Amino acid sequence: MATLEINNLHAEVAEEGGEQILRGVDLEVASGEIHALMGPNGSGKSTTAKVIAGHPAYEVTDGEIVLELDEEDVDDIDVELSESDYRWNLLDMEPNERAALGIFLGFQYPAEIEGVTMTNFLRQAINAKHDERQELFADEADLDEAADEDEDAGYETSPMEGPADDGEIGVAEFQELLTAKMELLDMDEKFMQRYLNAGFSGGEKKQNEVLQAALLEPAIAVLDEIDSGLDIDRLQDVSEGINALRDEQGTGILQITHYQRILDYVEPDHVHVMLDGKIAKSGGAELATELEDEGYDWVREEAYEAA
Amino acid sequence: MSSEDLQDTDTEARFEFKKEQKSALKADKGLTEETIRLISDDKDEPEWMLERRLRALKQFQEMPMPTDWPGQPDLSEVDVDEIVPYIRPDVDVRAGVDDWTELPDDIKDTFDKLGIPEAEKNALSGVGAQYESEVVYQNMRDRWEEKGVIFCNMDEAVQEHEEIVREHFMTKCVPPSDNKFAALHGAIWSGGSFVYVPEDTTVDMPVQAYFRMNSEGMGQFEHTLIIAEENSEVHYIEGCSAPKYSAFNLHSGGVEVFVGEDAHVQYSTVQNWSKNTYNLNTKRAIVEENGRMEWISGSMGSKATMLYPSTILKGRGASDNHITIAFAGEGQDIDTGAKVYHNAPNTKSTIESKSISKDGGRTNYRGLVHIADGAEGSSTAVECDALMFDNESTSDTMPYMEINESNVDVAHEATVGKIGDEDIFYLQSRGLDDDDAKQMIVSGFIEPITEELPIEYAVELNRLVELEMEGSLG
Amino acid sequence: MSTQVLDSLSEDTVRRIAEERDEPDWLLETRLDAFDELDELDLPDVIQTPGRRWTNLEGLDFESLVDPLNQADVTERDGEDDVVVLPFTEAFAEYGDVIEANFGSVLDPQENYLTALSVALFTTGTFVYVPAGVDAEDVTIRAEMNSRSLFSQTLVVTEESSSVTILEGIESGADAAADVSPANADRYFSNLVEVAAGENSYVQYGSLQNLAEDTYTYTLKRGSTDTYATINWIEGNLGSALTRSDVETELDGDGSETQIVGAFFGHDDQHLDLNARVWHNAENTTADLVTRGVLDEEARSVYEGVQDVGRDAWNTSSYQRENTLMLSDDAEADASPKLIIHNHDTEASHSATVGQVDAEELFYMKSRSIDPETARNMLVEGFFVPVLEEIRVDEFRDDLEELVQARLE
Repeated sequence: MATLEINNLHAEVAEEGGEQILRGVDLEVASGEIHALMGPNGSGKSTTAKVIAGHPAYEVTDGEIVLELDEEDVDDIDVELSESDYRWNLLDMEPNERAALGIFLGFQYPAEIEGVTMTNFLRQAINAKHDERQELFADEADLDEAADEDEDAGYETSPMEGPADDGEIGVAEFQELLTAKMELLDMDEKFMQRYLNAGFSGGEKKQNEVLQAALLEPAIAVLDEIDSGLDIDRLQDVSEGINALRDEQGTGILQITHYQRILDYVEPDHVHVMLDGKIAKSGGAELATELEDEGYDWVREEAYEAA
Repeated sequence: MSSEDLQDTDTEARFEFKKEQKSALKADKGLTEETIRLISDDKDEPEWMLERRLRALKQFQEMPMPTDWPGQPDLSEVDVDEIVPYIRPDVDVRAGVDDWTELPDDIKDTFDKLGIPEAEKNALSGVGAQYESEVVYQNMRDRWEEKGVIFCNMDEAVQEHEEIVREHFMTKCVPPSDNKFAALHGAIWSGGSFVYVPEDTTVDMPVQAYFRMNSEGMGQFEHTLIIAEENSEVHYIEGCSAPKYSAFNLHSGGVEVFVGEDAHVQYSTVQNWSKNTYNLNTKRAIVEENGRMEWISGSMGSKATMLYPSTILKGRGASDNHITIAFAGEGQDIDTGAKVYHNAPNTKSTIESKSISKDGGRTNYRGLVHIADGAEGSSTAVECDALMFDNESTSDTMPYMEINESNVDVAHEATVGKIGDEDIFYLQSRGLDDDDAKQMIVSGFIEPITEELPIEYAVELNRLVELEMEGSLG
Repeated sequence: MSTQVLDSLSEDTVRRIAEERDEPDWLLETRLDAFDELDELDLPDVIQTPGRRWTNLEGLDFESLVDPLNQADVTERDGEDDVVVLPFTEAFAEYGDVIEANFGSVLDPQENYLTALSVALFTTGTFVYVPAGVDAEDVTIRAEMNSRSLFSQTLVVTEESSSVTILEGIESGADAAADVSPANADRYFSNLVEVAAGENSYVQYGSLQNLAEDTYTYTLKRGSTDTYATINWIEGNLGSALTRSDVETELDGDGSETQIVGAFFGHDDQHLDLNARVWHNAENTTADLVTRGVLDEEARSVYEGVQDVGRDAWNTSSYQRENTLMLSDDAEADASPKLIIHNHDTEASHSATVGQVDAEELFYMKSRSIDPETARNMLVEGFFVPVLEEIRVDEFRDDLEELVQARLE
């Protein structure tokens, strides 16, 4: 069971005189929980998501983001672990290292990358996660030993194939996994031969984000407006995918949304309202309904009075 | 150490090694008529070939070095007299062997590292491999012979297929007068391949040849002549890889392709000359009615490359397709592109160019599309995309379009950009580290080229790109 | 490249021109220096590919074209009160220092043979000075050429946060040919324009050339931008037998911008050699090059566009589009859009097309009962629309449209 803890997070746009966007965000998301993060445009929801994933466009000026892990989260690691291996300060880490630890960001606007097929990309991502985890958890002595072994291994397969490495996912195994996950999301297999998000419709891109989360099995998935631009059928597919992430993999979900609609399909355990770069109010699922009916003004007033 | 590191070690060994070689005959340094006579005599050539060589030598001596092209690579270090133009491996084979087992061990060892046996294992058809200036190995499938297909070493073709060679060799396609290096090539050419495909014949497996240089200060001047008769089809693949040396090398090959009516020729090459080589080639195809020529080129190596495969669309309905990628790293100047002459109605051409420059390297797309008066209904589409890694590098695009006919469709597009930060972040958020993310984007960038190559070449090209990319990371 | 030594020209010619105009000494020196260098200078670069020289400048017989002491023109200059629009001769007294400081600072008189010749011999032209903060929307320069040869020199200086729109029109005088030139003699018009755009200033310079078709025209227009300055060029070419036009901006200040809009329409055996070039020498600069042209009969166009991004030009945006429409089978169009990129923090693209009137479109219009001639003309006018839309000066747009229509009739 993993827990993402965000404490007093302050962030601004990373340029000279950059605007401050986050002004003290406090939030805690644990495995198996579904959180909805709502709020008007410009309140800092997407920035929160990007800062969690380590986007270089933002600079954190105060606060911390910590990922707490337990035994279950590291059962794939062979080496002996010390206490520090269970508590990670994400702000010190590269985006890919965060991803390897189990942070997933579902993008509001996923990048389109020509020439890179989905299959190739996904397999490489799974293998990269595996390798990176071994590196993150291993101490230096372990690494040196592994390197020596590699050098002795020689080069026995065809130069066209390249040697397969222990623990990496093989082509057949990967295909099997992929087919299963795609069926779950009701996705056409033809997707796999297409280039990464290139020429995808808005809905296809969102589906693809959820598919990637399903394959990478993150501890915590931050989904940034995964529901916008979806027709009702696709919304249901995507919702099923998100529920499956939680139910089957125990992923904790932080779902950023404008709309109540998706919350009918993905019922949140917690709802947070963000205003002016802070969590202004938290509550249960009923809070979302209230927001839908009455807008954000009353939250703002309440927050103002409290202050 | 990760698996990538291991792979790279091996790839490195495959492309960067050198080997002690003894030579049976090493010509004097410097280029004189005497040298030419020696070459010709040693090959026991007919008189007409000697005369052509001598004429070419004269033209070479009279022509100035090309120095006035805008932004062209610096050729001031190219001193032809310093290049020993002709080296024969010190082995018994002269006209080639039929089987790998007959090859001397040391040469086999070299080819092993180049991966040629793997190519053979992968059933990629016949292998003609040039070792230094001599072709030492020829392999041709029996069934080709039955069909009348000829694939042999160029020197042998001069002897065995004299009439057809005499008609086509540097006469109407690439005359020595074309440029100074074509003239040089005409004087001292040695080795290379001759491919003849008779009418109505399809060679259904790619025909391959590997060339490499392996001696300090030595030039490589192989000549390739491909004749595809009416309604025939052939795919010719040339691969180059050379070890590193301290002195500079010159490669000046010549390629002539005759594409008959309704014939289809594809010429693919992945060039990885060592980083001190000047790669100055002349490649040209003449295409008859409804014939089709395809050039697929990857330029990775060399210190400087000047290469503009050209196609003359001579017959009505003829078409041309160029796909080219260039990757210039530290100290490299890759000046490459395409030339197409539309000399008949309803001719079509497409040119797709991708270039990558990093660590101070320079790439340039230099291309010419000429549509002659009367070539009505012709169309051409040129697309150039360039990717830049850093601020030390340079990326130029210099297309030239000459349109003398109104009923045409001419389009040229080019873009230059850096690797997108958002794209890198997206890939990083999926667990790829910065370097892998960049590498993946580059692989995607050149994918339109690699998908056109046989799988083995695509893998080789991707490996070369990986190696180049890693060079930037240290 | 061999250049011609003009026997009829001497230092004395240059001195006489300067004396008649009562010019300051520094300008005479500048003229004489340019004259002295003539032997050493080359004609402007012309693109050459195997077997084809795109423009034959060597073929021009300058000995017969150049008649420096009989230059004649009628030039009307209009401007608002707070902007200076004067012939140099009337500007020296008050603005001598400004002229001396800026003359030749952007466009080196010794750039090439033709610029040197022009600086040595010019007898007309305009000095435009826009003081800080002044906003001058309507400066017009209408020039009529009335002699065998005419050399013109224009200098535009804008101070901080000023803005100016200048429209230049060049035509041949109605009776000039018969009176001044010997029968059948060709004529030569040389027009150099330099713009020094001060910090945060805005310059729009439109030039419409419709000279008689016995005239050879050379024009080089070059501007340099200071920080946040903008120079927008509009270059329309319809006249002359042979036109060589170079319109260039050096983006020297951070955050500066330029647009070069070109339109041409060639017919008969006109030869148009049109060039648009921009150098990005500073950070955050933007350039947009848009050229459209139509060729009828045996006209020939040559186009070179250069986007040069320097090593220090971080965060550059640079775009170029060139489209040529061929109306005749005997027309020829050569084009070379070039990208020279030394900084990777660049977004740059260019495109070029050559084609004829779309047969489908033509058919569609005919099927709506429009006659072929009208249909074609409508499509040609439509072809120019993207360029016209870039022209934000109504008057200039109207003039250009009018000339296009006149040529179509």
